Amino acid sequence: MTDDNTIDVKNNFNHLITEEKNKHTVYCTKCPSKILSSTMGKHLRIEFNLPHMSQKKNCESVECELLADYWMVPDMYMFDNIGFSKTVESGIKYLICADCEIGPIGWYDDNTKQSYVALSRVKHVEDS
Amino acid sequence: MAKKSYDLLFKLLLIGDSGVGKTCILFRFSDDAFTTTFISTIGIDFKIKTVELQGKKIKLQIWDTAGQERFHTITTSYYRGAMGIMLVYDITNEKSFENIVKWLRNINEHANEDVEKMILGNKCDMDDKRVVSKSRGEGIAREHNISFLETSAKANINIEKAFTDLTLSILNKTPGREPTDVPEKINIDRKSDRLSNRCC
Repeated sequence: MTDDNTIDVKNNFNHLITEEKNKHTVYCTKCPSKILSSTMGKHLRIEFNLPHMSQKKNCESVECELLADYWMVPDMYMFDNIGFSKTVESGIKYLICADCEIGPIGWYDDNTKQSYVALSRVKHVEDS
Repeated sequence: MAKKSYDLLFKLLLIGDSGVGKTCILFRFSDDAFTTTFISTIGIDFKIKTVELQGKKIKLQIWDTAGQERFHTITTSYYRGAMGIMLVYDITNEKSFENIVKWLRNINEHANEDVEKMILGNKCDMDDKRVVSKSRGEGIAREHNISFLETSAKANINIEKAFTDLTLSILNKTPGREPTDVPEKINIDRKSDRLSNRCC
């Protein structure tokens, strides 16, 4: 819907994966910030309840979305640009865009030092 | 293990009184009328940004002190590993400027002695409310031999330059970067100068 070479990720993720890695460069969906270079993330299917990027105001409970497809990044310095929230529970931090701060786009586990970026919350653009 | 995707890694800190706009320099909470971003209620811990300078790919890990701005709460553990510090005051707040000296003392006590420092006079877009002149900012920076910039996080003035300048000063003293940058050699020369002076 945006750029011509932006790839739709709504349903099937197979076309985004090459040898278990991210085939394309990962960008923020809301701003031009580059998040992850191609092949830096490993595709993992793991169920995690990620809070919605927008929450209703004056609503006490946090609404989440159960997502299962993530790019696992073993070392935080492999990201080009990324932000980390404060720890929310048992070593979990949420990942956000380092520039516009939209998020969560994934989560980070301080116990394993691994980061997980939700495929459905980022934009995949073919390297030119 | 994955290949290393960068040449250097620098840890930077933002320090200064609360309300001077440190958080705005690094963090820009977006908040529209209908929804509140979930993250703004939790708060941000740190960011990783990648810059390329002098052909080197440099990862910056940038920390803010949000919520623990009183001197006694910022101690050695916070400064550990820091290679660059941005010391921020607000040009519309006299007290925040006066406290720069206290922050410098705190840094000298707790941070690594070769940490690169930079003083930022923030909110320079609010000239009508200014109480600290630019020359006073320059003066204190000169006195402590630290570089200085006036910035506006709101109007995006000099923010990029502040990060680039601080990163460059760290880069320029990173050992092994230039084969000619051998401090021992300079020391030996100085010593021999002093010796010959004494002889005369």
